[in-house]
Amino acid sequence: MLDMNNQYTRIKSRVYTMVLKSFFNGTLEEDIDKIPFLIIPKDTDPIRCCIYKERAMIRYRIMAFMGVNIEKDDDEMKPLSEYYREIMHKSIPSAPVITTISTACSSCPHDQYLISDACRGCLARPCYVNCPKNAISFANGKAHINAELCIRCGKCMDVCPFHSVLHIPVPCEAACPVDAIKKNNKGVAIIDYTKCISCGKCTRSCPFGAIVERSGLFSALKLLQGKDKVVAMIAPAIDGQFPGNLGQIKQSLLQAGFDEVVEVSEGANITAIKEAAEVVERIEGGEDYMTTSCCPSYMELVNRHLPFLKEKRSTTLSPMGYIASMVKEKDPTCKTVFIGPCLAKRIEGVRLNTVDAVITFSELAALFMAKNIDVREVEASDMGDTTSFEDCREFAVSEGVAGCVVHRLQEGVTLRPMYINGLDAKTFRGMKIWPKRAPVANLVEVMVCEGGCINGPGTIVSPKLALKLRGGKATAPAKAVRS
Amino acid sequence: MKKRDKLLVKICVGTSCFVQGGADLLLYNDFLNPELLDRFEFEGCSCLEACKAVNDADVESKPPFVMINGKLHGNMNSDKLNKLLSDEI
Repeated sequence: MLDMNNQYTRIKSRVYTMVLKSFFNGTLEEDIDKIPFLIIPKDTDPIRCCIYKERAMIRYRIMAFMGVNIEKDDDEMKPLSEYYREIMHKSIPSAPVITTISTACSSCPHDQYLISDACRGCLARPCYVNCPKNAISFANGKAHINAELCIRCGKCMDVCPFHSVLHIPVPCEAACPVDAIKKNNKGVAIIDYTKCISCGKCTRSCPFGAIVERSGLFSALKLLQGKDKVVAMIAPAIDGQFPGNLGQIKQSLLQAGFDEVVEVSEGANITAIKEAAEVVERIEGGEDYMTTSCCPSYMELVNRHLPFLKEKRSTTLSPMGYIASMVKEKDPTCKTVFIGPCLAKRIEGVRLNTVDAVITFSELAALFMAKNIDVREVEASDMGDTTSFEDCREFAVSEGVAGCVVHRLQEGVTLRPMYINGLDAKTFRGMKIWPKRAPVANLVEVMVCEGGCINGPGTIVSPKLALKLRGGKATAPAKAVRS
Repeated sequence: MKKRDKLLVKICVGTSCFVQGGADLLLYNDFLNPELLDRFEFEGCSCLEACKAVNDADVESKPPFVMINGKLHGNMNSDKLNKLLSDEI
């Protein structure tokens, strides 16, 4: 995956902030078609062929930000203002959450291994000896890989003493754990939605920003404009994503227009209690293992690729499920907005129908910037009594869910947990053989994002720093973030 | 060297800088040349108000901002910070 600090994320945050500022000014309908020109003025040095293409790409980013399904509803003749009017007047289906901007796709060549000029055609030729397919031949004193024979195992790269073998991957395909991205006959990336588990890894991997998430922010903005009370449900991963402490984040959300803020960790407490009871019951009933059920991308993985796990996964709702029902029980007329690091939560939100909108931290950051809310400067709001569920904030970190479940077991009961920390093609292959070789554990915690939710596609801060800010072990400047 | 002899580096942790790459600068312990760590004092600071006056034509006027010995620098990243601090001593 790309480092989060790159030009693409910066452009995205500029587009988001600009659109939102104009939205809150009440002038978005007039302004929206001008935004591509404002962001890419005439004298810009284009990264692509020309400023006109750059502007067209900004246009698509605005569309994705408004939640338009670009693959399906792209109409180049239609002005953005018309899309905006449509979005504001009718609700559009949230699935699929990921869409591709086909004209932004650079049609990267197929995944390949190449021999570079560093090859010295040595005597030992370990590449030649180790190639399982005899794909390497020598000409003009240098090695050459026959692409038709090569199976891309990478052995030649491992053994070359001069590091002369290059691996050129297709970033989106390499990031996809379930092989859902293919190329069409023009080489443009196409997502197979029957396979896609909405993990969002591709959106964070494409160096051209051609695979994008359809934002849910406009659904949330519509709710904020409406008459009903809007409750923000903040995911456990939010701690560490913004400067300031949780109380200040809560106050910032209230200033941004939400009427109430609840922590999803409160729902996580219920998830952990129920999973603790369920896993014991299952083991006593003779089952070998149970998996957690709070990662929505994992739920999609089971539904689409690993149906045998349907019986093995916990039937407990996710923390979002419980907190949303609690909020709706208290006040059935209110609207709920989940704020988290996750794209797949939108799919879960549709299933649950207690969640009215799902937005990400990066979208929330744009909202704060557009409203000029400086999280660290606001007076902290009281979080209330959080002692019963405080430890459940660890749900956002790998091993945290299983940890909370183990904590809630009856005394004397012990479990053997196992952790799937991040899904890639290899772990996916490993999971496929579970029916034959069951995992050596009773409780399997599955998190599709490596490191847990703090590394989700909607996060702002690198997981390394987020962990520091969460743990309170920060050095001077980072500590200042929390004050 | 006494603490007060060290030059002050202020890393802006206002929301705008923080969410646009400034957060990464807080990992300065990991990416700065170890020699530099002793020579400077690092501090997280409130919004320097520089983000309110972004000039689109000038990339240097964009977040994240860092103030080194009283001088403001925009569009900061780890490599640039390393270089600027080396120049300073």
